[in-house]
Amino acid sequence: MAENSIFECYLAEQGYALFEYLGGGEFRALGSYPDWCKAVWGAESTRQKTLRLAELSPFLENFLVDADAFWNSKRKGAANSPVWIERDFANHETPLEAWAARLEGKKILIVRNLSSSYAERQQLFQTARDSLLEHDQLRREIQKKEILLHCIIHDLSQPLNAMRGCFNLLSMEKLPGEQRRMIETGQRESHRQEQMIRGILEAFSGELAVQQNPDGKAAIAPDLAAAAQRVVEQFSPAFTEKGIRLQLDPRLDVAHGWKVVGDSPRLERIFGNLLENAMRYTPKGSAVTVGIEDKVHCLLAFVDDEGPGLPKDASSDRLFALFSKGKDRPGKAGLGLYFCKITVERWGGSIGAENRPGGGSRFWFKIPRAMKTTPIRGADKRSAPQKPSPSEAEERSAPLAPGHLGRASRQLQILVAEDTDVNRELVTELLQKRGHSVFAVEDGRAAIAALSKKRFDVVLMDEQMPGMDGLDATRNIRQMERASGTHQIIIGLTGNVAEEDKQRRIEAGMDGYVTKPFDMQALFQIIESHTHGGQQAAPAKSDLAGSAAAPVDVATYLARSTGGNEELAQSLVKSFLADAPKKISDIRRALAQKNPAKLATAAHAFKGAAAIFGAPQVVAAARNLETMGKAGNPDGVEKEFQTLESEFARLKTELLALQRKADAGAAASPRERKK
Amino acid sequence: MLQKKVCMLGSFSVGKTSLVRRFVESIFSEQYHTTIGVKVDKKVVRAEGRDVTLVLWDIHGEDAFQKVQISYLRGMSGYLLVADGTRRQTLEDALALANRVAETMGKIPAVLVLNKCDLTAQWEIEPDREARLAADGWKAFRSSAKTGEFVEAVFSHLALAMLRK
Repeated sequence: MAENSIFECYLAEQGYALFEYLGGGEFRALGSYPDWCKAVWGAESTRQKTLRLAELSPFLENFLVDADAFWNSKRKGAANSPVWIERDFANHETPLEAWAARLEGKKILIVRNLSSSYAERQQLFQTARDSLLEHDQLRREIQKKEILLHCIIHDLSQPLNAMRGCFNLLSMEKLPGEQRRMIETGQRESHRQEQMIRGILEAFSGELAVQQNPDGKAAIAPDLAAAAQRVVEQFSPAFTEKGIRLQLDPRLDVAHGWKVVGDSPRLERIFGNLLENAMRYTPKGSAVTVGIEDKVHCLLAFVDDEGPGLPKDASSDRLFALFSKGKDRPGKAGLGLYFCKITVERWGGSIGAENRPGGGSRFWFKIPRAMKTTPIRGADKRSAPQKPSPSEAEERSAPLAPGHLGRASRQLQILVAEDTDVNRELVTELLQKRGHSVFAVEDGRAAIAALSKKRFDVVLMDEQMPGMDGLDATRNIRQMERASGTHQIIIGLTGNVAEEDKQRRIEAGMDGYVTKPFDMQALFQIIESHTHGGQQAAPAKSDLAGSAAAPVDVATYLARSTGGNEELAQSLVKSFLADAPKKISDIRRALAQKNPAKLATAAHAFKGAAAIFGAPQVVAAARNLETMGKAGNPDGVEKEFQTLESEFARLKTELLALQRKADAGAAASPRERKK
Repeated sequence: MLQKKVCMLGSFSVGKTSLVRRFVESIFSEQYHTTIGVKVDKKVVRAEGRDVTLVLWDIHGEDAFQKVQISYLRGMSGYLLVADGTRRQTLEDALALANRVAETMGKIPAVLVLNKCDLTAQWEIEPDREARLAADGWKAFRSSAKTGEFVEAVFSHLALAMLRK
């Protein structure tokens, strides 16, 4: 290295090491060694006349195979290696890159230190990959929430709907005073539970919003002890019924001031979930204690039980994991403890469970104390006060108005004009249960004929019927009234909710309308608001139609539509399954005949029948066919019909399963059936 | 001494570098530093009654920005296929990578590492998926570079597999 050119010295300064390959694995350095060579390969190596680079670096050993191939080829340019990292004797990392080239007939290897540009390059990759990980994490968080929402809707709402339906039907029976009060309690409590489910859903959508807008996160400072006290009061009856004593820790000074980060409803839910968990595992005759301890910067809340303790294989992580259930699976969806964990962690706290020295287990959570300066902004009305606000208290305890869903205060004569068998059957049954007298016909002309023979308090008029439709029938009735000076109350039954449809109804002379599919509450409300002489009520919007954002399964839908009347539900399923093939044939025939008017009528009839079961896909396909028929537009009708057929097949499978389940239930409990 | 080249393969941020650091230096860092290029480390293990030097090629994670070059794998005696058990997709990506390796290099001893097993609450690989992997001939370990769980075991198992080949 005695005769260094200025250029070679410059390259060494810039971190380049140049070597000439001499053959047999030997290399000769050209020019000075840059400093990194001595640090990475050792000063001794750089004092040698020749170097065996493959022995100094496993990476170069690998690359020299490619380099040799290049040197022995006729390729122009250079063969370059990817980046690799060498560690020096002080364990510092040196990023390097190598090229093999031919210069003046010599085989040249150039190795360059990339330290100057590597950090920037790594930062770019790091940022990009961090972003990918964050995106992935966010996506999974959202998925988890969707799963939770689904579970809440499904697990909690389904039995509740059935319960409410049963209570409603029972309330229509003639019952002695004591039993009526019990039914009213059931109605009130199931209503309250429904409100709580809504609260959970709102809380979750709130969390989603917080995630999307962290700056808008409300900092709230509820009192942990007050929350514990409320939940203990709330759960005491259930514990008493199971023979378990539920108590607040006698050492707890509730007035001490236990403000924490978080919000009241979710705090209560955490206590509630831990208590529900304790209730499942605690034996009769023992006690469950809820307490709080001051841990200076945070507060520790605990639920101590005297049960068998935690299972041997149950780590805290596993216990609080999503869908985790106890070995004998006494819980439901495996959501409760998971909810506690994600909520507590969101507040900057932690949660865990352990066995108590004297037996039993302790489930605990720690949350930070609220700072005195914590602003209370954006809090929902239930979170900040320690006592429920007057309106909230009223909401929690107010019983439903007497007769709200029971029998009507007076029997009405109601004419129902509805072409779809299942709808007609459903409306008739519900109104009769309500105590009204019902006469049902299949089209507008028959309705007019019935009105000419008998007086009715209300006419429920399906809007679209074969022959004379509901709007035409209404116009005719209003025409006749001009001479008589009377006014017949006519309420439309409709699946059309567009603004122009409302206008058409008003112009035809309808007094109101209820959208299909409807639930019985909506139906009763609109009929009775028109017949009690009060102000004309706004058109009742069906709860079911309003809940389109939260799809429910066929069974739930049917339970809602029939008010939990299993017999009626089964009757509707049977009628629909018997009738649907004929309706589908009508559509098929209209298509074959290329008759758009018939297509619209047949699709409308099928749509009305299917809507009883929710079945949004079936209804959508039928609606599309109806629209195409009305517009006389044949484009895509075949494809839409195929969709209708496949969606119907799916619905049919679900309905048949429901039938089988009902049959099995009836066979298993003949006494139930008798009732 | 007998030397065996072992490559660490898998998607980015699955913990390849952390596994090597835990194995070679017995340390772990929570901070994620993405790898660009290749880092080579060595560690001597004892297998079948003799010392074997494992030359560990910690190769950058594969993603849209960096693809694994098959030339890296030249002379490889075995590899650890690493997936992050809390990100299901990394397992599928790792298996796709293993297919590419098999296509170009034939059957080579390998061990599948489902890393980050300390994060049980976020674990996304279902037991039946693991059973299917076993049925497909994969020797899979749940490991944690953080706690060290099964880290020695995966390297020892691979060393043994390479010697017995």
